[in-house]
Amino acid sequence: MNRRQFLKDAAALVNFAALADVTQSAPPAPCPVTLLPMPDYGRDLSREIAAVMSADGLQLKGKKVLLKPNFVEAHPERPINTHVAVIANAAQACLRLGAAEVIVGEASGHRRDPWFSVLNPSLRGILDKKVKCVDLNHGDAVSVPNAGRWTGLPTFYIARPVAEADVLISMPKMKTHHWMCVTLCLKNLFGVLPGVYYGWPKNLLHFKGIDNSILDLAGTIKIHYNIIDGVMGMEGDGPIMGKAKPVGALVMSSFSLAADATAARLMGFDPQRIPYLFQAGRFLPGLRRQDVVIRGERPARFAEQFDCLDDFKGMRGGPFF
Amino acid sequence: MERSASETAALIERLLSFSLPDGGLPYYRGNASAAEPTLLAALALSASGTAADGAAPFLAWARKSQNPDGSIGVNPGHRDQGVWLTAQAAIAFHHYGLNENLARARGFLLSLRSVTIAKDPRLKQDNTLTGWPWVPGTFGWVEPTAWSLIALSLSGLSGHPRAEEGARFLLDRQIPSGGWNYGNPALDDKELLPFWDTTGLALVALHGHADPKRIRDGLELMGKNQEKIESLSGLSWAVLCLESHRRDAGLARVKLLNVMGSLRDEEFHLGNFALGLIALSGKKVFTL
Repeated sequence: MNRRQFLKDAAALVNFAALADVTQSAPPAPCPVTLLPMPDYGRDLSREIAAVMSADGLQLKGKKVLLKPNFVEAHPERPINTHVAVIANAAQACLRLGAAEVIVGEASGHRRDPWFSVLNPSLRGILDKKVKCVDLNHGDAVSVPNAGRWTGLPTFYIARPVAEADVLISMPKMKTHHWMCVTLCLKNLFGVLPGVYYGWPKNLLHFKGIDNSILDLAGTIKIHYNIIDGVMGMEGDGPIMGKAKPVGALVMSSFSLAADATAARLMGFDPQRIPYLFQAGRFLPGLRRQDVVIRGERPARFAEQFDCLDDFKGMRGGPFF
Repeated sequence: MERSASETAALIERLLSFSLPDGGLPYYRGNASAAEPTLLAALALSASGTAADGAAPFLAWARKSQNPDGSIGVNPGHRDQGVWLTAQAAIAFHHYGLNENLARARGFLLSLRSVTIAKDPRLKQDNTLTGWPWVPGTFGWVEPTAWSLIALSLSGLSGHPRAEEGARFLLDRQIPSGGWNYGNPALDDKELLPFWDTTGLALVALHGHADPKRIRDGLELMGKNQEKIESLSGLSWAVLCLESHRRDAGLARVKLLNVMGSLRDEEFHLGNFALGLIALSGKKVFTL
């Protein structure tokens, strides 16, 4: 299947929304999203991150927290992965808020060798000694019934550390995606599925439809908090082959879809035109602009027009801020 | 650099210290037994010249884990998942002369086919070629195809049409500059980066299946990057591929030994550690 056909099929997700399965009802309360300025990776923002998390009501005292960054593959000159400084700041923030255990875990989608993911010395070297790094690609997994009905998969095999964590924090990179338009907090859930079960890449999820797989995972796995690394994003032919795009902010929220929709708007896309985000709006809060309350800096300060492949230009929108 | 027997013994002792009561080994400490570390550890013990008794619990675990259709999955709890690992089981059964288990594993591998699609002139790869998938019912990828090709070649089926097509599949997925990514050589006309592990594994699998000129660039890539490679897996595959093609892997060997001697528990991936032991042994485990 080529991208054009794929997008045609994906558009059907929007067109036939009325037929969609709804597994949760969306509450009407606006979802707070905070834009925390971080002009470069040299800043220690752990205190500020902790303050935002706390203001958002995240309770971490005595909890086991799993930070789920996005490590796809290593490429020295491209901002593909969540930056280690953002992970270290978030980990420190969790410790400040009294977390009993903080784990950084990832099942990298392209690299089987964990040295290129969470076991890389660049990450280990910057983290507090109390923080553990866990390769989710290899290790125990638990079978969890699929709470959605998009892929037809009866179960997902979730890495055990994710299933056992009290709090899951999704920490993606702000990037365009050559199949999905954008890849953010919800798409980041692919990385809780072990490669030893699903392969490198997780081709089964491609066969079942990337949109469908995101929606099923979003309905099955509870994300408790979200921090998008928008300090340096990626535009163009993401998530691997694109170019660096500085935005200079972290996007933080308890609500995954609100974080994703806000990040999409900052990137110059209308989330309601992105099929999987549109559908996620049927069971998660935060899709529409009026569903979100933005705190912190003025969003206009960070709004950028991300370059994208021609196929996604119809998903652009705005100005939103 | 020659290793002393005591260095080998210490590394093997560390590997065995992770053994679990059910006879298997986990990927990492604190996990349950899994097929890959257990099977590669059995091969590492064989390569290191450890008495066959040492591998007996691993082999018993593997035989018990084999499904009626000959496949082996990730672990006994999820026997139908990760059946690409059957190739590694076939390699272990071959080395230990477990012919009945080998025949069943091989039968499963021959039945496992990747999905193919019509040739698309816009793509730089031939999607009509059948390889092996990670998951039944999906496309073929470099790693499962390479493991399966090794299993068939070792067990006397190197001339089987599936093996020959598997070799063509791997050659088709080679990046023009010589190495391998995990699957496609290019994305939208942009050449992808080679990975050390998939490049090394593909070169080992293609031993005896490819014109030396065709894989020369890949071997040179691995040879000249010995200094850059840092990981246990990458260094292991560098040693394995270079030595299987009679190239010098001296630098990678020294680095591998250093890495293996300095791993913290958190980094201790038993599958990769066993692979490192196989590489250091200098024995032909994955080639004839």
